[in-house]
Amino acid sequence: MAEPSKNQAGDHTRIFYVPERAKVMTTRREPSAILVELGFEDGRPLNHHPGQFVQISVFGYGEAPISVCSSPTRPESFDLCVQPMGNVSRAIADLSPGDWVGIRGPYGRGHFPIDQMKNKDVLLIAGGIGIAPLRGLIQFICDNRDDFGRFRVIYGAKTPSDILFREETQQWTENPDLEFYLTVDEPDDEWDGCTGVVTEPLKEIDIDPENTIAAACGPPVMFRFIAMELLKKKLPEERIYFSLERRFKCGIGKCGHCQLNDLYVCQDGPVFRYADLLKRTEAGEVWVPEKDQDTA
Amino acid sequence: MTAPDHRVVSASDFIRFLEAVLAEQPVIGPRERPDQPGFYRFGRLARAEDFAPDYGTTTVPPKKAFAALREKLFTFTLDSPPELDLHFNSSPFVLLGVHPCDLSGIDALDHAYSQPPAEIRWTANRRRATIIGLDCRPDSYCFCTQVGTESNRNPCDLFLTPLEDGYLVEVHSEDGAQLLEKADTREAGEDDEQVAEQWRKQKSEEIVQEFDAPVERIADILEAGGLTPVWKETADRCYSCGSCNTTCPTCFCFDMVDDIDIDMRGGTRYRTWDSCQLLDFAVVASGHNFRGERWQRVRHRWQRKFLYLYRQFDRPYCTGCGRCSRACTADINIVDVTNRLIAAAQKEA
Repeated sequence: MAEPSKNQAGDHTRIFYVPERAKVMTTRREPSAILVELGFEDGRPLNHHPGQFVQISVFGYGEAPISVCSSPTRPESFDLCVQPMGNVSRAIADLSPGDWVGIRGPYGRGHFPIDQMKNKDVLLIAGGIGIAPLRGLIQFICDNRDDFGRFRVIYGAKTPSDILFREETQQWTENPDLEFYLTVDEPDDEWDGCTGVVTEPLKEIDIDPENTIAAACGPPVMFRFIAMELLKKKLPEERIYFSLERRFKCGIGKCGHCQLNDLYVCQDGPVFRYADLLKRTEAGEVWVPEKDQDTA
Repeated sequence: MTAPDHRVVSASDFIRFLEAVLAEQPVIGPRERPDQPGFYRFGRLARAEDFAPDYGTTTVPPKKAFAALREKLFTFTLDSPPELDLHFNSSPFVLLGVHPCDLSGIDALDHAYSQPPAEIRWTANRRRATIIGLDCRPDSYCFCTQVGTESNRNPCDLFLTPLEDGYLVEVHSEDGAQLLEKADTREAGEDDEQVAEQWRKQKSEEIVQEFDAPVERIADILEAGGLTPVWKETADRCYSCGSCNTTCPTCFCFDMVDDIDIDMRGGTRYRTWDSCQLLDFAVVASGHNFRGERWQRVRHRWQRKFLYLYRQFDRPYCTGCGRCSRACTADINIVDVTNRLIAAAQKEA
């Protein structure tokens, strides 16, 4: 095969792990996170599906997988919301407009099932930073509102000051296109909204189990309780979706870091049907309700 | 090609052949480690005599010829915008003296890396090489007959079986035939074939490690579960050092890291081998470890080799080379543990 030409990194993103350059357009401080808006040099769209992720490089620090948190219906740029937890994410938190990063992707064949959601009621549940991947889907549904049925979003944050996308959550509250439930675990003196974990508002909600698709994103412990509530409401396991987190290194099912039994979360997910996860012991050990953990 | 053409090359003609090849392209083959006599490694041969044809095995398998332990992916500058420069060497080389089990390891990785979305870095590196296989004598750790790799020829261009003087050469590809034109060879006779057949027979008879069930059954046993006691017993002995992974010809997990140049103007991204047995392999950003218990990591290794990849590619991701058992700092033997799993499953049934 001919030697790949130099400085055309974008042509080889998938195959040689060379990212494509992207420019930081804006940054916005969020509680314990930063929202980074990025664009490619040639202005082309990322062409992602809500729920997919990219590998972002901060050169000299490394690469990290981050969910895209904007909608492809807003194609002029794309957003990543990053909590500074490790080397790379701390470097991302220090980015300023005009800085350059590298992007590989978008990756993930398992994304939010937009086609199946069409004409159905949609229920989204986010815990903590889990609101970030769902934000892209929320934007997508709002931008194509007529294609979907009743649209509800539950978002739980630890404290009022941890609420991400404050301005947008305010808009969602006022937006007649969606029913937005915001809850905090630990209220402060000024908080007059709902308190408790995400399952509290979830318990109060009536759903049409024949016509609803639910998707959730958040810390692993949350899934167990969400699954229990949704099953109580007779929602079939086939119509519950979870977006999982692993530390993907390659994004194409090779590096092995994200393996969950026979699945590669990066490639087969990161969004999975609950029904498919039930069969996997390594999912069960973390959060499937009342699963015998010693059957391995 | 149909049935491979069989030729014979004498020992002295083979040395001359190697010299002719070395004059044109690098040859990577087994050579004795100068720092550890009696131990061998795949390395670049400086001269034909460096080739150690009767090496038992190497500590690290020859997969490193195609995916180095630390592989330079690209360089970057810290300019605005940064300049990215793909690093890829496309020059050809010969990989010499690969045993049937290790050919099978390369075949395993060919499947894994070409699974869509394919990684062309591996494929492109593979295309650089002409592979010359070599038949071997087993030691007490080998179990190639248990996974059906003892007579494997895929992928290779030429394959050598030792004769009293020189080798029987099987020609497996056009590239191999072309390379062999550099050698003085004669047509193989019935006698030569018999000697080679005897070699193979003796090799199979010398294998002492055996699975107590056919390898196809192991996937079902692992899938059925109920093996936690065996995983925990094995984990009690395991140090999670990762030696089994780093010496395995079918392991292909990796990490990627950046290195900054000392002048702070740029740097390099490397890909390095990684090990699923290391504690932090499945840690995520929030700090959760998806295989925080050692027995979970031990189980993962068996499930990957004999269940997940077995089902995906219809072959075990184990070549019977025995390297993991040889390298294990706690003397955990892959065949012993597999047999304990089989026994536990039989007890259950």
